[in-house]
Amino acid sequence: MHDFIDLLNKVTPDLWQGTVVTLQIAVVSLALGMIVGLPIGVGRVYGPVWLQRILGAYLTLFQGTPLLIQLFVVYYGLPDIGVTLGRLQAAFLTLGLNSAAYQAEYLRSALQSVSEGQMTAARAIGMSKWQAIWSVILPQAVRLALPAWSNEAVAMLKYTSVVFLIAVPDLMGQAKILASRYFAPIQIYLIVAVFYIVLVGIAYLILTLIERRTRIPGLTGDAA
Amino acid sequence: MTSPILRIEDVHKSYGSLQVLKGVSLTVQPREVVVLVGPSGSGKSTLLRCINLLNPPTKGRIWLEDQEITAPGVNQDRVRQSIGMVFQEFNLFTHLTALGNVMIGLVKVRKMRKHEAHDLAMFELERVGLADRAHYYPAQLSGGQKQRVAIARALGMDPHIMLFDEPTSALDPELTGEVLAVMQKLAAEGMTMIVVSHEMGFARQVANRVVFMEDGVVVEEGTPQQMFEQPVHERTRAFLRNIMQ
Amino acid sequence: MELLQDLLTTFNFIVQGLWVTISVTAVALTVGLALGITMAIVRVYGHPALQTAVSVYSVVIRATPVIVIIFILFFVISRYINLSPFWAGALALGFASGAYQTEIFRGAIQAVQPGQMIAARAIGMSRLQAIQSIVLPQALRLALPSWGNEATLVLKDSTLVFAVGVPEILRRAQQVSARTFEPFLAFGVALLLYLALTLITTQALQRLERRYRLQV
Repeated sequence: MHDFIDLLNKVTPDLWQGTVVTLQIAVVSLALGMIVGLPIGVGRVYGPVWLQRILGAYLTLFQGTPLLIQLFVVYYGLPDIGVTLGRLQAAFLTLGLNSAAYQAEYLRSALQSVSEGQMTAARAIGMSKWQAIWSVILPQAVRLALPAWSNEAVAMLKYTSVVFLIAVPDLMGQAKILASRYFAPIQIYLIVAVFYIVLVGIAYLILTLIERRTRIPGLTGDAA
Repeated sequence: MTSPILRIEDVHKSYGSLQVLKGVSLTVQPREVVVLVGPSGSGKSTLLRCINLLNPPTKGRIWLEDQEITAPGVNQDRVRQSIGMVFQEFNLFTHLTALGNVMIGLVKVRKMRKHEAHDLAMFELERVGLADRAHYYPAQLSGGQKQRVAIARALGMDPHIMLFDEPTSALDPELTGEVLAVMQKLAAEGMTMIVVSHEMGFARQVANRVVFMEDGVVVEEGTPQQMFEQPVHERTRAFLRNIMQ
Repeated sequence: MELLQDLLTTFNFIVQGLWVTISVTAVALTVGLALGITMAIVRVYGHPALQTAVSVYSVVIRATPVIVIIFILFFVISRYINLSPFWAGALALGFASGAYQTEIFRGAIQAVQPGQMIAARAIGMSRLQAIQSIVLPQALRLALPSWGNEATLVLKDSTLVFAVGVPEILRRAQQVSARTFEPFLAFGVALLLYLALTLITTQALQRLERRYRLQV
């Protein structure tokens, strides 16, 4: 037990550094996912049919293949055809585009569950279609999508764990180095597991709090 | 004879092979209150949605004041600013308070400044008797209150004509009174109104003209007294008999 | 044409990992299924202490990234038992999936109307008999859509065992690209292979769903 505490003290600083990188990647990727995912979601519902098809293909590609392989294609494959990205950039881009695919679907589902009468009423007071989407439909859809989005945010922390395989010094990356340095893989990875569990727990609590704060009476999963 | 505020000329509306309106013509004078009655499926709601171009007619022409709004190239969004509409299912914006619902059109469409919009919105809410509920969300309002907010929202756009599509049909009986009272007040203030409704009491008291539609055409029209007491057509008589029971 | 030749050689090399990928997925799903159903039954019907134990397992495992679980179990298994990376990896994946499947089956069991259990007891069945012949058959069918979703996820996550040396699709792709210096081609092929796999699996699952789905 004493040895374990000893080990714990030795590895914690490095693991903490890794945690910071993990958080960075998670936040940036989530944000990228929102920025790309929102227009895709809207395009899937309100865009012309040809656009819906193209976007559908994008979604099928990103949702139908493993994140890890997408990462390898971006980091190892793209340089082959002239686009070279750094490790972190590749991580941000891949996780971001991947998350965008899922966020777009949550948004699409939410947009479609906003009742049609809302659009009708908005047009009746003279709003154009896009004004109505922006000022009336989207604000409601975003709130409806919040639970699904929260899940995505929490899950993102777990998804970042594969980037160590392209040598990004995140939590798992540090763990790998420390595991071989101290010849104690099981203990190190168990400690790392605890780190992730705590991160996930905190993220979950924060998001539940946000959900509660932004709740509007009457705007739940079954909006009228 | 003043010029009519609304002129509907031989309007047809089909959805694919289904013909809903089969040649409707109607003229409405300023400050007139026209009540449209008829069995369901007669095309009354469809006609309203043709007037404000939500579902433009397949054939026929409509003039609002002196502008032909069915002409190609007309800015339909613009036209809809001058025509107010109140729906059976209210369609209040669920993510906004009552005040927000009235303000959003003022800010986004009429491009007013926030504080001007706020004052005008409060004025309209006052007009329908709901100033004290300004900060409530739709889910926290009763049906009658929701509908009154919907009326305030439409009024905020300063419409020249108001269309009501069965405004009380989705309300519990004890709540219809408050909505009809607001509509009566509007009429007294001189608003031109076209109302689709089954509320015969309202028609008798407030309407200047009652129009009976069936099967996509206007069968008969006249003053409430003429229509209710001496209808000419048998179909009108049959309908009124059913309704009165 | 040189490109076509390269494509074919690359493809042939990588596709040999296909069988490994499918096997890992199959083993993991089976292990997960067994764990999931058992744990779900314990969670709903078992002794309170056991219920808590299952809850803890479920929450802890689901809060941990799959790759971390695979690493931990791989090292634990390797130290004490002599298993190939394939089995160590597949079992680890199955263990992780078990936690998600526990939740799926728990939800499904709880969705079976309580009247079903009451009626079964009323005709004299024991609790266990009722679970086995009345509740479970319905629960399994209710769970089908969610389970299908999980199956697709396990298929995609199976690539993670590449990190413990299992010669599945990604590992093969990596080997090929080291030889031919054409990583875009190699990893691109791997990507498309998985795309084909998931599309086929989704179709098969939809067909299964259509046949067996329980509409309440």
